[in-house]
Amino acid sequence: MLSFISFNHILQYIDFNKVQQLFVYDPTDQLFFSTSFFLFFFFALLIFYRIFSKKKNLKIYTIIFFSLFFYYKNSGYFFLLLFASTFINFYFGSWIFKAKTHWLKKLLFISVIIIDLGLLVYFKYTNFFIQIINGVASGNIQLLNIILPIGISFYTFKAMSYVIEIFIETMEPTNSLRDFVLYMYFFPNILAGPIDRAVAFLPQIAGEMTASKDDIGRAVFLIMSGLFKKAVIADYIGLNFVDRVFQVPLRFTGVENLLASYAYTVQIYCNFSGYTDMALGIAALLGFKLMDNFNIPFLATSVADYWRRWHISLSTWLLDYLFKPLQMSFRRMRIYGSALAIFITFLLVGFWHGANWTYLVFGLFHSTYLAVSLLTQKFRKAFYDKVHLTGTKFLKAFQIFITFHLLLITAIIFRSDSLRTARDVFHQIFRYFHGVVFFQWVAGYTQVFVLIMLGYILHFIPKSVDNKIKNIITASPVYVQAFLLALMILVVVQVESAQLQPVIYFNF
Amino acid sequence: MVSERLQKIILNELKLDSFDLHDETTANQVPGWDSFNHINVILAVEKDYNIRFKGLEILKVKNIGELQKLVDSKLQ
Repeated sequence: MLSFISFNHILQYIDFNKVQQLFVYDPTDQLFFSTSFFLFFFFALLIFYRIFSKKKNLKIYTIIFFSLFFYYKNSGYFFLLLFASTFINFYFGSWIFKAKTHWLKKLLFISVIIIDLGLLVYFKYTNFFIQIINGVASGNIQLLNIILPIGISFYTFKAMSYVIEIFIETMEPTNSLRDFVLYMYFFPNILAGPIDRAVAFLPQIAGEMTASKDDIGRAVFLIMSGLFKKAVIADYIGLNFVDRVFQVPLRFTGVENLLASYAYTVQIYCNFSGYTDMALGIAALLGFKLMDNFNIPFLATSVADYWRRWHISLSTWLLDYLFKPLQMSFRRMRIYGSALAIFITFLLVGFWHGANWTYLVFGLFHSTYLAVSLLTQKFRKAFYDKVHLTGTKFLKAFQIFITFHLLLITAIIFRSDSLRTARDVFHQIFRYFHGVVFFQWVAGYTQVFVLIMLGYILHFIPKSVDNKIKNIITASPVYVQAFLLALMILVVVQVESAQLQPVIYFNF
Repeated sequence: MVSERLQKIILNELKLDSFDLHDETTANQVPGWDSFNHINVILAVEKDYNIRFKGLEILKVKNIGELQKLVDSKLQ
């Protein structure tokens, strides 16, 4: 009787409307990796995963079920669009493979690419094009009420990698729709990558799908470092400094604008690589290995080198599927053909980020850097040889410094809401510098300053040190690992500045 | 089996004195064979044999053995 009363009592205190709300899509309350609701659900998922450890089929359906819920919770009914995309690419993949003649293969392939890119362009760029048409022809076409489905740029590229590899005969299609659904919906990488390739992911479903002791150690390390980079460093300096400066650059001196640009560069690194670390760690706990996306990008000695180190899953995707075919068809133009191919590729890298002139100009800068660098490569090498600089540490340091600042210019354009804002930032830096403000700034923004430095230090830590820490965590008992993770979550909750900041790359 | 002629063209184009090229050798194992030199290698092969590849044919090639096969198929 007593227990019955107290149960009733408890029921009175539970607001079922609120509980129901947790399971329904709400644009203001999404389910990101660093929310406590996500951590709770993921923990539940791990328990089921463990219970089903001997039954692989159930494990697969557990992830699929959770992934569907995860995507629905973040995008609402757009999960139906992803359904469509999944079915279309799955069946086209198998038709392309089975087609008897080359022209039929080609026809099917071109059709599916048009569908994939058509959906992407419709949702992402329609209003941008309407604005351009209105601007050029002084027309008055109404803008459409289009909402960007979250993650569309990422899952479209994932799907395309599947049909492209089948078309160029570097992989065979899977017979299992279930496996392909898992590939497309896999929640760790659905919202902001890494853009894993079907050719590397599908075989993992055929494998064990269990996390080894090493995987668990690696996962704990990745989730901890990811949470710290994203929720502590990136969000804090973003909210408390970068956002303010970039909102009205003219209100700040040049030195503050320059500092905000340095801060933003490390903010976006910590935001995106932190998110990716969490994605890799979460996937590792489920026994999956996702593609690495970052490799100390600001240590790059050239812009080309930078793209081998930053957002690797996107840059290798474009290099393999766009740059190489273009380069091959322009091959009679020799080096100029390569330069043209690289120019087109990176212009599209800019545009991939979104329908805004700032992203196009960002792409244009990168295209120009890369094309010019390619065309002057011989000349520069001859020059360095002549002045005996080739292979020296001085040259390397010089190249890293120059490359970093070339990237800083593009980061300013990338962060600005409009080209006008970017122009204001450059104006302040070059015309209104006021270097002495630096000391006041450090005194006033000590925490931000410390976190910026910490962000850069974390970024420059060599992989060997990372691996040592990983090994220590792997070797420690489970309860120590759990304690470390709980401690990090506690730190994050303490620091969590006002509101949760979404990952910058969700919008792309 | 990689023919001597093909080996010579590749090594010549990459300015290598000697390098053991097998069927399974891939471009990234050969010093200097990056994506830009790749074009030069392909052009040199086309010129020397007086053949022409289609873009897709070259994209499918995964190693030197497959390149040899592609060349052979063009010569037949």
